[in-house]
Amino acid sequence: MRQLIRPALSGLLAAAGGVAAGELVASLVRPESSPLVAIGGTVIDATPTPVKEYAVATFGTYDKPLLIGTILVVLAALAAAVGVLAVHHRTAALLAIGALGLVGAAAALTRPTARPIDALPALLAGAVSAGLLAWLAPKAAPAAPPPVVGPTTAVDGAHPRDPAAIPAAGAGEASPDDSAAVLPSQRTGRTERRSFLIAAGLVALGTALAGGLAAIIRRSGAQAADEAREAITLPAPADPGPPPEKTPGFYTPNQDFYRVDIALTVPRVDPRQWTLQLTGMVDRPTELTFDDLLKQQLIERDITLNCVSNEVGGPYVGNARWLGVPLAPLLRAAGVQAGADQIVARGADGITIGTPVATVLDGRDAMLALGMNGRPLPAEHGFPVRMLTPGLYGYVGAAKWITSLELATFSSFDAYWVQRGWAAMGPVKTASRIDRPKAFARLTAGTVPVAGVAWAQHRGISAVEVQVDDAPWQQATLLPVPSTDTWVQWTWNWPAATAGSHTLRVRAVDGTGALQTEQRADPFPDGASGWQSVLVTVA
Amino acid sequence: MYGKRKLTALAAVAAFSLSLALSACGGENTAATTQPTGLPTTVPTTVPTALPSMPGAAGGEFGPACATIPKDPANPGSLEMMAKQPVATAAAANPQLSTLAAAIQAGELADTLNNAEAVTVFAPTNEAFAKIPKADLDKVLADKELLKKILAYHVVDGKTAPDALAGTHKTLEGQDITVTGSGTEFKVNDTAMIVCGNIQTRNGVVYLVDSVLMPPS
Repeated sequence: MRQLIRPALSGLLAAAGGVAAGELVASLVRPESSPLVAIGGTVIDATPTPVKEYAVATFGTYDKPLLIGTILVVLAALAAAVGVLAVHHRTAALLAIGALGLVGAAAALTRPTARPIDALPALLAGAVSAGLLAWLAPKAAPAAPPPVVGPTTAVDGAHPRDPAAIPAAGAGEASPDDSAAVLPSQRTGRTERRSFLIAAGLVALGTALAGGLAAIIRRSGAQAADEAREAITLPAPADPGPPPEKTPGFYTPNQDFYRVDIALTVPRVDPRQWTLQLTGMVDRPTELTFDDLLKQQLIERDITLNCVSNEVGGPYVGNARWLGVPLAPLLRAAGVQAGADQIVARGADGITIGTPVATVLDGRDAMLALGMNGRPLPAEHGFPVRMLTPGLYGYVGAAKWITSLELATFSSFDAYWVQRGWAAMGPVKTASRIDRPKAFARLTAGTVPVAGVAWAQHRGISAVEVQVDDAPWQQATLLPVPSTDTWVQWTWNWPAATAGSHTLRVRAVDGTGALQTEQRADPFPDGASGWQSVLVTVA
Repeated sequence: MYGKRKLTALAAVAAFSLSLALSACGGENTAATTQPTGLPTTVPTTVPTALPSMPGAAGGEFGPACATIPKDPANPGSLEMMAKQPVATAAAANPQLSTLAAAIQAGELADTLNNAEAVTVFAPTNEAFAKIPKADLDKVLADKELLKKILAYHVVDGKTAPDALAGTHKTLEGQDITVTGSGTEFKVNDTAMIVCGNIQTRNGVVYLVDSVLMPPS
């Protein structure tokens, strides 16, 4: 077993050196081309879609580091195995380690946002690993097993901790009964061990330097993007929004705005290098820079955005004041060809989101948003540019870190979530939520203020009703809103709440006069529905 | 000795290269994942959480009935999936809790449980409900007020960890329950055994009990 340690270690070091070199090159060339991130993304995509009804899952704090960690552990195990393989089958081992590089390259090339150059870091990682292994493997070759007879045992006894006491391979000619003849082999063993340790140390050092440098470059790249973001002064809108609403809670602060995406790492896009490709079924394919967008006639709008995975009463909805470029004029300028019914937006995190062309062109304020609540978009919310389509769930209308818009058809392309069984069309369902009192609240008898929000973007909300237990529904008061594209805050005073446990229910009527459906639906595949209830206790 | 030393060195190098690579590619992750709001970042599918070889966020559950929980992490009733769901949705996915899920629905408590900030739920298993004569159970299920009262008696405000489990807890129904025991063996109100404890959900921790708890008054 112990003869395998040096070979395994050499395999591990060779792989670590290669990965570090790959990460270093990736950090220099294109951060997205990191072989580890590419493999992580591929693993996520290749994982079978599980049972759909419950397909609402948290990208929790640990999942992403765990994923990368798991990939590293698997890689380390493979590398150690390859190192051991190299003892007797050096060529096979080198081929195996090269194959790992190819796997990484394939993963990088098949990412949705891949460019040919993305293969480079993984290929380089494979080549460096193979080179390091070719160099380390001979030095790590295990010694022949020690002879079982007399003097050697004595030598072993004399150097119980010294692995060099095991005669090295090739020293077997020494006569086992001549203790003097063992000494040269001992020396050879020591020299070999020393040379292996020096080589291993050098590789470890190189790995540390390359990895450290990659981390520094990556961080400075992110920093450059962050600084570029900080340096942006958003232009005044040509078409400003109405005076901001003053009611607390109408706007969701940027740091509190829900975040739902597939990004393994939050893309840090430098706006100076960013371009937007307008391609596909258009007469005039267009490329726009960030500055090009800033020079457009910007609009400022209050728009509520919500996630299709939000459960009844859930938190994945927010409202912000957005600054952006109206999308319809851009599309018209590019010349949308007949038959194109889907806009496929691609984001730097690899997402694809498909939005109906007709929806974007129907006069609503679909936009490429640059600003959120008076600030450039936060990195987490898609800096430098995200799409917004009022009236649609985010998964069909609000791609973040957007890099291209391709005019296509629904029949020719399924976007990311559609591939996973979610509906291709995602108009928001009318919904209402009780924010006060909280679930299981303990209240004092008397008048109890009840409040919440209701939303049916682009249709608007015309009424909200509240019910206590089985009493008749009561009209809530609606606070003013700037348009039909935002949520509506509502309040209702519950008069003379009596002791005991009570259930409060809420429902809304949208701008078309349609009552929110009572019919319960899970978020999958096209959004939750049902009247929310809250159990409270009045003391 | 020789082998041990080398193994330690190997482990050290492995750990070193792992941490290195992690910082190299995951450095920005911290910023992304530690959101000051505490709002969970979710994706509308289970794909990322269903990675078969990935150690889940779940863990620390104990008790004989835990063995009956689906093992496939892609199964909605698995510990991994329950950890991602709000508590009522998570319970509804667990095959041992289907009667409870029906009761929660009948009592109109799913939204309240799902949107509670943090709760501890003592969840009677199907076997626990089966101990109640059918006529009595049907009567309770038909009496919404009584049902709500009984269900709320199984819920305690806040997430209660196993080491804080023993003792008296005020339920959301208003009356107390008493948990006795230690380690991995606990009883509630001297009648209900905790048969699988410390199951994590997005907003609550669940302890499966083998008897339905009845409010004293």
